[in-house]
Amino acid sequence: MKLLRLLIEEEAPATLPYTTEARWPAITILPTRRTWELLYLLTLRDLKLRYQDTVFGLLWSLMKPLALGAVLYVALSQFVRLDVEDYQLVLLSALFPWVWFQTSALLATSSFAGNGALLKKVPFPRFVLPFSTILNSGFHFLLSIPVLIIVLAIDGRHPNATWIVGVPLLATVQLALLMGLILITASIDVYFRDLEHLVEVFLSLLFYVTPIFYPLSLVPEKWQPVLKLNPLTSLIEAWRDLFMNNQLPGLDLWPALLFTAGALVAGALTFRRLEPGFADAL
Amino acid sequence: MLSNEVALSGEALSKRYMLRAGGAQQLKAAVRTLPAMLLKREAHHSFWALQDISFTVRRGESFGIAGPNGSGKSTLLRVLGAVTKPTSGTLTTNGRVSTLLDLGAGFHPQITGRENALLNAVLLGLSLREAREVLPQIIEFSELGEFIDQPMRMYSSGMYVRLGFAVAVHVQPEILVLDEVLAVGDAEFQSKCFGHMQRLRESGVTVVFASHDLPSLQRYTDRMMLLEHGRTVLEGRPAEVIHSYLTRVFGPTAKAGAR
Repeated sequence: MKLLRLLIEEEAPATLPYTTEARWPAITILPTRRTWELLYLLTLRDLKLRYQDTVFGLLWSLMKPLALGAVLYVALSQFVRLDVEDYQLVLLSALFPWVWFQTSALLATSSFAGNGALLKKVPFPRFVLPFSTILNSGFHFLLSIPVLIIVLAIDGRHPNATWIVGVPLLATVQLALLMGLILITASIDVYFRDLEHLVEVFLSLLFYVTPIFYPLSLVPEKWQPVLKLNPLTSLIEAWRDLFMNNQLPGLDLWPALLFTAGALVAGALTFRRLEPGFADAL
Repeated sequence: MLSNEVALSGEALSKRYMLRAGGAQQLKAAVRTLPAMLLKREAHHSFWALQDISFTVRRGESFGIAGPNGSGKSTLLRVLGAVTKPTSGTLTTNGRVSTLLDLGAGFHPQITGRENALLNAVLLGLSLREAREVLPQIIEFSELGEFIDQPMRMYSSGMYVRLGFAVAVHVQPEILVLDEVLAVGDAEFQSKCFGHMQRLRESGVTVVFASHDLPSLQRYTDRMMLLEHGRTVLEGRPAEVIHSYLTRVFGPTAKAGAR
């Protein structure tokens, strides 16, 4: 009898079913009001932090993409002599949304792994960490829109009412796309830190196979379908159409929409499965 | 006020940690464990940090946890604070839990104490409006004076503790979970904190705290649990548990001191 009890005690922990479900705040499908407030505070904090103690502050968010744009402009329209009408507009109207995508993906992928101390000590809805990074970069993107308007105005183009619908619409799609993708990468990154570097490499490749410094129309017919498989292609082209031609996105956006839906589902599933182990893995 | 209502109870709580191979084996480990985790399979190397821990804490009670380093105190508090999930067993809580496992875990050194306090209060469970309302009290309790508007990188560790503790006790917890955090503050602030904890308890707040500071445990807890190697060794009145703990550590000679 005593032996039997000993045996049961030895076996017990491994076989007991998991039952603690009453209070596990970290996984929340429907964010509460407090979650939004936390997101707001974190985003605000990171906005303050990003360029703290710099002379130019927020201006850096404009100068960095503008510098890249200027170099690309000179190299491609002067040296390579790419023959595209209004090339500076073609370039900038795609470059700004791309920079949002790139910086978010780069920074947010390590947002769980880089916040070990917090994840190990404080219970809170964890997805606010990558989400606030994405929102923060998105805010910098919004700041760059006035610059774009100025550049457009120099060329005699002016935004109209379509922007009021178009900008929030495309920004929402991009936000959702980023959120889905980053929930996957950031969750896996906790267990496999090499992913941060893989993402970095992947992003620099993605830059070339997305119509950013060239319009899709310039790509030979036979390659266009291949490029269209890239969900960013339709999204970037939609931004460009909106900014340059005041045109609302139409059915052409479907690859991005489809991919966004897929990324959100995959991201939510990955996060839900891996999240309970974050505090233990860090 | 002590009542018979249960604030917090654990039943056969166990926690298993997966051990990770480092360096070159990382890729192999990741390749092996990630699909396993995604498919909810078992991994290979593991050790049990907690095994079969059961306890009940009544509302308004102060419950102490003692034990040598590595005995599972912090793991247990993490489980109680919902930072990590127990591998098996049931945890039942009845009321808002405020967890203070580490001071300044949510603090960012580059922003001011005031901004950190607000963010931390929301992190620990208040709504933004509640946090704004309680902020002046937090600041007053912390006694940081004009330092509250300085970036926290200027703070000493004692100042960190003050603000961290001030936030933790002002989020109106019903259950306060503390890990060895008061040791850094000076004696005056410590006594203020214990005084405040006493008042919280009188208003019905349940306190669970782990410490190596046996005199404080004896003074401020109603009941204690002694952990060793992730198992409960003893549970009972503080004086008895501490006595038995000391006997275990120093051997019978400690008792023989009275000879």
